[in-house]
Amino acid sequence: MRNVRDLLGVALGGLAARKVRTALILLGPIVGVSMIVAAVGLTSSAKGDLQAKLRQLGTNLVECQASSAFGSQDPRLPEDVVDRAMALPLVEQVAPVLDLQGVLTLPYPEARTYYEAFPVPVLAVDTTLPEVLNVPMLSGRWLDRFDLEDPTRAAVIGRDLAAEYNYLQGEARTIELNGIEYGVVGVLDSVELVSTFNTAVFISFGAAEDDFVEDIEPNRFYARATPGYEQMVNNAMPDAISLGGSDDAECAVPSDLLAAQAQTDTTLRTIVTVMGGLALLVGAIGIANVMTISVIQRSSEIGIRRALGHTRGTIAWQFLVEAVVIGVLGGALGAGVGVGALWIGVEIKGWVFTLDPGVIVLGMGSALVMSVVAGIYPSMKAARLEPLETLRLG
Amino acid sequence: MTEAGHPHHPHLHVPGEPTVPPPGEPLLELVDVTRSYGEEVVVHALREVSLRILPGDFVSIVGPSGSGKSTMLGLLGCLDQPTSGEVWIGGECATRLPEIERTKLRGRTIGFVFQQFHLIPHLSALGNVETALLYRGLRPKERHELAMDALEEVGLGHRHDHRPVQMSGGEQQRVALARAIVGHPLMVLADEPTGALDTKNAANVMDIFARLRSPERAIVIVTHDLGVADAADRKVSMRDGRIVADERRRETAPEPASS
Repeated sequence: MRNVRDLLGVALGGLAARKVRTALILLGPIVGVSMIVAAVGLTSSAKGDLQAKLRQLGTNLVECQASSAFGSQDPRLPEDVVDRAMALPLVEQVAPVLDLQGVLTLPYPEARTYYEAFPVPVLAVDTTLPEVLNVPMLSGRWLDRFDLEDPTRAAVIGRDLAAEYNYLQGEARTIELNGIEYGVVGVLDSVELVSTFNTAVFISFGAAEDDFVEDIEPNRFYARATPGYEQMVNNAMPDAISLGGSDDAECAVPSDLLAAQAQTDTTLRTIVTVMGGLALLVGAIGIANVMTISVIQRSSEIGIRRALGHTRGTIAWQFLVEAVVIGVLGGALGAGVGVGALWIGVEIKGWVFTLDPGVIVLGMGSALVMSVVAGIYPSMKAARLEPLETLRLG
Repeated sequence: MTEAGHPHHPHLHVPGEPTVPPPGEPLLELVDVTRSYGEEVVVHALREVSLRILPGDFVSIVGPSGSGKSTMLGLLGCLDQPTSGEVWIGGECATRLPEIERTKLRGRTIGFVFQQFHLIPHLSALGNVETALLYRGLRPKERHELAMDALEEVGLGHRHDHRPVQMSGGEQQRVALARAIVGHPLMVLADEPTGALDTKNAANVMDIFARLRSPERAIVIVTHDLGVADAADRKVSMRDGRIVADERRRETAPEPASS
């Protein structure tokens, strides 16, 4: 152990004695590792907010819609679709939805022309939807069982629609649905997985039946599967809920699309990582070069050390430990510089700081391996020097 | 054989410190050593040379250029291997040892002083002396104490933190001397130790050599300088790769150097 400490002391002393040279060789690993860390971090952070939302929302939501396979303009699911869906194992919760056709929504009567051109979706729902979607209320409340059992003309609006209507939190406000006034009781927060909900109006099935439609069978529903089994549920659901065959319903996992969007740009990341790797390679050549020259310059020192009884192995280790120190130090500094550059980039772009710690480990590990490989030749060269040749006796 | 203890720090023991052979037994012996170079054109630098260095010997090896002095120095110092013959050090046949063991034996038994000092430029005087004690299992504090003692012995304790570039040639050579003796070797081997010094510094260095003599240790100086050679008790003259004279001027080994 003391010999290892002696070796480390000699190697550190050798590096500290030649500060400029040491700083120059450190540049290789610093540039390489910082490029890798910053490149991977930036490409991850660019999509980090989506990934964070995905983690928050969960990926176990399944959406099923009545299919228009037989040419129906208003295809519906069976009335007892919730029970059918819940009968499937691994389904935890189900929220039915009915898209109401031909309901004109107005924040105030004068806006008719605009909203005839750009209609707002109106959906009949039950009490479970926010829970199934895992979305909180931005303000107010969701429709409760009293709204459903004794249908009231209560409406919840999506977040973007609230902004469009200049709706103030807690404001007593009514909107018109086909000329019928509904009181706004709450605003639903942003629904990432179903973005159309952000501009929609939600009313109870009962109110929809009272005011707009005769049949309130849902035309779609959202189901939460046991995490990890969403694809299984997705595949089994059409058969489970259909009356006339699996063509009656189409199911999908909405987070799949978001997950695809959240995938980092692998091409860009690969290009920059390869550039980082090249910088490391150039750095390795630099280390090998400078250390080889250093061995020649220090041949007298090597000769005297050999004369003093330091073995060839000790001499080789001395230079190899110098290379290891360069790799460790360069890797750590490079990781620090990379994280710093990433932090600045993320701050400027307003992204979410996303960096897999494994990237830092990988970068530092690469720098270490590269330095050791680069140090092998000079170390062997140093060990092969004969003291008699370097000391010039007589 | 008796264990060589540290004169000033009896509690300190340099691991691997050599043992002194009993009286009459050589510290170092060359037996019919020949050293040749080249394959097609063979040059015999040394021809069947035999030499015994005893404890307490203060030997000078002299001879004109090309006489084989440097080759002899390389072989005495285990820096080179003979073409034929054997080199024995402290009762061990160095010639037959694997290279790694020969290197360790060299580190334990021989201290070197060179004409060009060969100090490590980025280390202080103390650091240079401590270099001879590396990889021997000593704690830094122990190494520091031993190196300071060696520097005190050559009168440079007060300059322990100076680097070679901050010292005169004479001082550098004294640091090299301290480095040579710090591990308590059986033999100090000096190659033209005054060759790069002015007269005053050369005399100073030779005074230190005289003080370093002890019954347990041999000092061997290879030199052109007859004045330096005459300071030794025994003069080995070489010519054409052979020893032509081996004159001993004093029969008794000196008393141990006082601290």
